[in-house]
Amino acid sequence: MANLNIESAKERTFDAIVIGSGISGGWAAKELTEKGLKTLVLERGRDVKHNHDYPTTNKMPYEFEHRGQVPLEIREKEPVVSRCYAFREDAMHFFVKDSEHPYVQEKPFDWIRGYQVGGKSLLWARQTQRWSDLDFEGPARDGFAVDWPIRYKDLAPWYSYVEKFAGISGNSDGLAELPDGEFLPPYPLNSVEDYFRQQLKTHYGNRHVISARCAHLSKPNQIHLDQGRAQCQNRTLCQRGCPFGGYFSSNSSTLPWAERTGNLTLRPFSVVESVIYDEKAGKATGVRVVDTNTKEVTEYYARIIFVNASALHTNHILLNSTSSRFPNGLGNDNGLLGKYVAFHNYRARISAEYDGLLQYATDGRNPAGGGYLPRFRNLHKQETDFLRGYAAGFGANRYQVEDRSGFGTDLKEQLLNPTWSNWRVGSHMMGETIPKAESQVSLSKDQKDAWGMPLLSINIGYDDNDEKMVADYLEQMTEMFTKAGFTNIRTTDSKQAPGLDIHEMGGVRMGHDPKTSLLNKYNQLHACKNVFVTDGACMTSTSTQNPSLTYMALTARAADYAVSEMKKGNL
Amino acid sequence: MDRRSVVKGLLLFAGGMAVLPSCVLEEGKASIQLDHLDVSAEQEELLAEIAEIILPATDTPGAKAMGLHLFTLKMLDDCYGAEEQQAFMTGMAAFDELAKEQAGKRFIKCSPEQRQTLVSAVNDGQAPEEVLTFYRILKGETIKGYLNSELVMTTLRVYELVPGRYEAFYPVTAEAQIS
Repeated sequence: MANLNIESAKERTFDAIVIGSGISGGWAAKELTEKGLKTLVLERGRDVKHNHDYPTTNKMPYEFEHRGQVPLEIREKEPVVSRCYAFREDAMHFFVKDSEHPYVQEKPFDWIRGYQVGGKSLLWARQTQRWSDLDFEGPARDGFAVDWPIRYKDLAPWYSYVEKFAGISGNSDGLAELPDGEFLPPYPLNSVEDYFRQQLKTHYGNRHVISARCAHLSKPNQIHLDQGRAQCQNRTLCQRGCPFGGYFSSNSSTLPWAERTGNLTLRPFSVVESVIYDEKAGKATGVRVVDTNTKEVTEYYARIIFVNASALHTNHILLNSTSSRFPNGLGNDNGLLGKYVAFHNYRARISAEYDGLLQYATDGRNPAGGGYLPRFRNLHKQETDFLRGYAAGFGANRYQVEDRSGFGTDLKEQLLNPTWSNWRVGSHMMGETIPKAESQVSLSKDQKDAWGMPLLSINIGYDDNDEKMVADYLEQMTEMFTKAGFTNIRTTDSKQAPGLDIHEMGGVRMGHDPKTSLLNKYNQLHACKNVFVTDGACMTSTSTQNPSLTYMALTARAADYAVSEMKKGNL
Repeated sequence: MDRRSVVKGLLLFAGGMAVLPSCVLEEGKASIQLDHLDVSAEQEELLAEIAEIILPATDTPGAKAMGLHLFTLKMLDDCYGAEEQQAFMTGMAAFDELAKEQAGKRFIKCSPEQRQTLVSAVNDGQAPEEVLTFYRILKGETIKGYLNSELVMTTLRVYELVPGRYEAFYPVTAEAQIS
């Protein structure tokens, strides 16, 4: 019996454990397995194999029972996820249903989740921009949160490293606030997007519209073909999973790559209940896993552990990893674990029409979505009555429209002979929010989930800075649209709850000082050095860029550091 | 096994629409499984005939042959709230009442000309509000079902699943402009 246990424990021992298989967990798996580490990747949801498990990917619109619409019964039962733009009939199966996985909302928070191999990397909007020092220096300059322990030069080579593998389309725009990267050809701005770019240059000088940079293979290199991926075919049905591997996901890229090394063990249906801390050794020795099918609890062991469970679940697991050394959660000596969570403010939108450039439309589809306005507010110094600023999407489209007023043969004729609408332009804000101690997640004291873990309780809201930023965005965009000659300008503040941006970050922030942060500059827990956190939970501040590319770069950098420390015998 | 799951197991698929074999249908009820709406075979026929006036058969199939009235019922049953469902049913009855008032008979007994006249008036907004509400839903879903049908998307106004291109400055002629 004793021998059996030893054998069994041996089978459950790896060099490294990665918790989560989403965008950052996939990268951790790739890097660690490539460096020769036997790696166990734990995923709480089911397996989703590239191509095999994309059931809707090749369906025509008429093959969906409700032509894409989500039935009312589901919308009423699952109100949170139903508010997500991508929760449609073709991709419903990749989203977590509210009713199946409850959480506590101390304030309204739309927590959008993807419990499956690949996580939300199957569903993301694929926008990828680098941070600059204007972002990393933000907290120190403006006196909020704590100083980032890294600067652009620390991450720049790792941005290059992940961009080359993932495949990022974009233009070298030469902007200090949005460093150029290793780009595949950009998806060009269309005539009106380019016109708006010129208008802003004329009227402002320092406001730019660039081709949105995105994780699509506009022209694959050998490294992408080697992954089994092909050129993006402009379907813009990405949320179904892409049969071409045209956009980057864990499923199409990092996980199969890791699997090919022979060093990967992937275990789906595995909820990590906690990280095991060994008081004598003074480090983590493994994780406790609940099998979601059998509810059996099994321990797995490894020398290093990467926690990539998604920003809030990483907090959840660490808070639940208690020991006599860490009664308030792993590495939580300062009581800051779960605090200083922030997100991106996506509340405001603006739309308008333009009657110029009608000699042009577009043909085919643009997977990048159009243009991007990098942050221009408070860029080099404080200029407004709010801190930081916002980036914005900008897109112009013409639609094939039909006159639907008649009936009979006339109507039929009209429906089959559409004409082009004028240009419809639109923009949405992506505002930086300020991490605050009171914006936090914690463990519910009285409610547990189906696997015995306390529910996560979320207490995150907007503040006065966010309100001022919404007002400024709408005022500035209205001015820019007016100067460009756009008409019928309409603004909206959706008042949507935080979370729907799907850019929640922080709670396990990086910093120089163990007294005021949880992670050091290599994403190592200050107080438990063989545990690394490289997903959204590590973020000290949020800036305005879409965060995934930064998670990828941080993960690859941390994995490199972890393995070199292991080789030196430090881990 | 409850009746519903047995019934669902017997669904036949015709023109993309689930049609029940007659042996499991309740006498006088609609030909598709509906969870919330109570629609009779007669009402189904009425909807088919109105939809056919909205989008008639020409050298290509019309609404009735394409089952767009059934698509409307399916959407109404699954995607609309109870209030709108009720408004639709009330409006449908009011529509038939209007036919009786104006043509002296039920809509399905009306001549093609009488049907045209009646739908024309309703389409122009010349009808009680409850009729207009019903008509708006029926027309909207009929058009949605038509434009999203296999026939239209594969032959009449082709939808490209795999465009494989993006042209950002695509020239269009003046004739293609909306006026």
